[in-house]
Amino acid sequence: MTELSIVGRSVPRVDALAKVTGKAKYSVDLKLPGMLHGKILRSPYPHARIVSIDTSEVEKLARVKAVVTGQDAPEERVGHIRDRYILARDTVRFVGEAVAAVAADSIEAAEEALELIKVDYEELPAIFDAEEALEPRASVIVHPALLQCALTPQPYPLYRFEPDRPNVYIHRQIRKGDMEKGFREADFVLEHKFSTPAVQHSCLELHNAVARPEPDGGLTVWDSTHILFKHKADLCRLFRLPPSKVRVVSLYIGGCFGGKAGTIVPAIASLLALKARRPVKLVFNRDEVFVDGASRAAMTINIKDGVMKDGTLLAREMRMVLNAGAYSGSTTLVTKNATFGAVGSYRVPNFKLDSYAVATNDPPTGAFRGYGSTEVIWAVESQMDMLAAELDIDPVAIRRRNLLKEGDEDVCGMRTCSMGARECLEKVARWIEWDKESPREEGPWKKGKGIALGNKYTMPATRSMVHVKVHQDATIEVRHSAHEVGQGSGTALAQIAAEEFGTSVDKIRMVFTDTALTPYDAGSVSSRSTFHTGNALLRACRDVKRRIFEMASARLETQPKDLHLREGVILVQGSDKSLRVADLFAPAGYLLEGGELSGNGTFVGPLESEDAETGQGKRPVTYYAHGANAVEVMVNVETGEVRVVKNGTCFDMGQPINPKLCEAQMEGGMGMGIGGALYEEILVAKGEVLNPNFLNYKFPSSLDVPACGNVKSMIAAVPHDEGPYGAKGFSEGGLVAVAPAIANAIFNATGLRIRDLPITKEKVFRMLKSITDKELPPK
Amino acid sequence: MSRKHAIELKINGDIHEVLVEPRTTLLHVLREDLALTGTKEGCNAGDCGACTVLMDHKPVASCLFLAIEAQGKEILTIEGLDQQGRLHPLQQAFIDYYAVQCGFCTPGMILSAKALFDKNPQPTEEEVREAISGNLCRCTGYVKIVEAILAASQQR
Repeated sequence: MTELSIVGRSVPRVDALAKVTGKAKYSVDLKLPGMLHGKILRSPYPHARIVSIDTSEVEKLARVKAVVTGQDAPEERVGHIRDRYILARDTVRFVGEAVAAVAADSIEAAEEALELIKVDYEELPAIFDAEEALEPRASVIVHPALLQCALTPQPYPLYRFEPDRPNVYIHRQIRKGDMEKGFREADFVLEHKFSTPAVQHSCLELHNAVARPEPDGGLTVWDSTHILFKHKADLCRLFRLPPSKVRVVSLYIGGCFGGKAGTIVPAIASLLALKARRPVKLVFNRDEVFVDGASRAAMTINIKDGVMKDGTLLAREMRMVLNAGAYSGSTTLVTKNATFGAVGSYRVPNFKLDSYAVATNDPPTGAFRGYGSTEVIWAVESQMDMLAAELDIDPVAIRRRNLLKEGDEDVCGMRTCSMGARECLEKVARWIEWDKESPREEGPWKKGKGIALGNKYTMPATRSMVHVKVHQDATIEVRHSAHEVGQGSGTALAQIAAEEFGTSVDKIRMVFTDTALTPYDAGSVSSRSTFHTGNALLRACRDVKRRIFEMASARLETQPKDLHLREGVILVQGSDKSLRVADLFAPAGYLLEGGELSGNGTFVGPLESEDAETGQGKRPVTYYAHGANAVEVMVNVETGEVRVVKNGTCFDMGQPINPKLCEAQMEGGMGMGIGGALYEEILVAKGEVLNPNFLNYKFPSSLDVPACGNVKSMIAAVPHDEGPYGAKGFSEGGLVAVAPAIANAIFNATGLRIRDLPITKEKVFRMLKSITDKELPPK
Repeated sequence: MSRKHAIELKINGDIHEVLVEPRTTLLHVLREDLALTGTKEGCNAGDCGACTVLMDHKPVASCLFLAIEAQGKEILTIEGLDQQGRLHPLQQAFIDYYAVQCGFCTPGMILSAKALFDKNPQPTEEEVREAISGNLCRCTGYVKIVEAILAASQQR
């Protein structure tokens, strides 16, 4: 195996200089000539009929250049199930639904204009509880015509409607083995219910888009998102424009985490721009992001396990209910794919899972880092420790016993490969000194250690295309559409290109995420970019190298197979002869042979048939990244405060392209995980978000994470045969196991088991108090 | 009739004359009128720190500071930190220690750290964490940011 020079090295990020000098541009920074500012009027009711909208007062204002309502909005709808008009037509279904929008020459003028729009609503009964809404005789039906909605085409089975449960968007099933037999033969059965709240991505860059109408009736949209081709397709469909007339561009993205998947923002900006015939910038306020930023759906997870005395899992039955909110968004796919969190790690001979996405009049939800695996793994990994406690088995041992091995079949019927979980588990256990007895108390603080396993799948059947061009000066231009949302996709791809061309990263120029310039990519989703865009890039590089070697072989009088490239020079194996790339060009700049020195590469992710009834398939996911977290916590038994003092993460992402950037993802996942474990919860009452701001929705600051010396991020790479240089994909995985590791550590410290996130100070305090009160002698 | 006032602001050593309403924030003037988009808006409520600028060497949430009250002060934004292309040690450290991901918190984070250095050139890790506790970051978990700031302090 040839040694790698750039891939596997921690080169500095290619975008770091622009970002540390404030020069990096985000779509929210754009200012176009004649640009207007858009603002949205939102429904104050969770469920209501729109009786009338009167915009006549606004139309008189000179500073307002466009006002639109549902009547102006496209008839086409958005969502995986196409159930949402971009501006509500007859019915609003959540507090905050967009009802009208204006474009004015300043933000202040736009906000003042909203106050002049008169909307007459007729309130309707609303439903907020997912279990209630799940019932066949639910008191309120959120989408009476759900079954008539068109579906966004997917290559794999996704939709399983439940006609007799009118509020179910989708029901997903996995069936394997004989549950009755499994539970009957088990020595011990344990059943618990877990829950996770709605949480908000809280990307620092607010949701925004800038839309500019073009003279030919088309659109250019600068879009803060991670899936620009999907947005382009939606915009073409919504505004009945051919693909050649719609251009979508993403610059740098100030964080995404799945929150910017929805098309609402660019669509409303486009609607205003087309109406005003001027560019429009639409930026959500922070409270709008909380309400209409597609937060993560609250979930309840029931798990019933049948185990042998030695901890071997015989049967596992799971039921998940997601409160998807008023529109289906991406939560339909989340409901299907979240289940892989329960599939990727353990061997279970008898398995039954039902997962429901339920419509309510809560705000709509969507994709969030982990795509549901975080919530499912919260439940599974808490339960594993509870089983261990009941059976008096070590938590690490019980996981080892049940871990899938290479070649095992998982509960969906997929053969396990590139399975590094075992080594990750060992590494974090060793780092936290799992077997070592350590002091357990420090004044009112009780200390404990906890471990959890994690996995993150990457979805099947997606594709990426890359175009590569070699310039006269032997610099390599890579055109790709893998968004830079902060994870470092541009750097990883530059490293792959540099490796292929035997050069350094500074010789690689990236042109990214512009549908007019860069080829199709399914987007920076599902931890897929390194694998899919990376593979497409490899093929593009090899395509252009083939051309270079063909041209050079004639001039060097040798075979193409004897040639290789290093620093812009074509070298001949076992000879002094060489040719510079520049020599293939005339001094004036054209390629002597004509045309350009360019190549294309396409990579299509695997697609195998899948049974919608049983979830069985040879390849329901492309691959899994595997990992583990070990944490040490301190719990103050007087106040209930929990501090995470140590965190060790280890992940198998296949060959790491850039180890430091992988570490950075593990550390970021730790931060987000601590937030989800201890603090974060979107509080909703009667459909209204009570804490739509950073004052009342807390996520970790620099004071809420362990000291640098107590954080360790490790890699235990198991190469994947199909990945570029053996790489898989990574980013989401760093998050998924943090919360259960913390809960397991709290149990270890105090004997308290909390099954509902977040584990707030109040919850811990109340639990402690209820224990001590019970022990108090009667007065 | 215009409600605007003509004011003079001193930013990164340059004098700018701008027309502002009394309610206009410094953040708005920087981004909209002066094209200094390195200073970011994250919440417009003083909670996230993305809008941090230095005013007479002290970190300030520019989203809560009225432009009209910023007259007579020395304002430093991220654009004013590097000297003719020579990076400040903090900027170099953020590159060298992989402390940048999406980059949106980065300008505010670097300026808060600079304000700390101006008072306390050799801070402890705890002091660094305290100084940047008003700069929220969703990407990094703060680990490499703190390492970068400590490394930059050791180079002075």
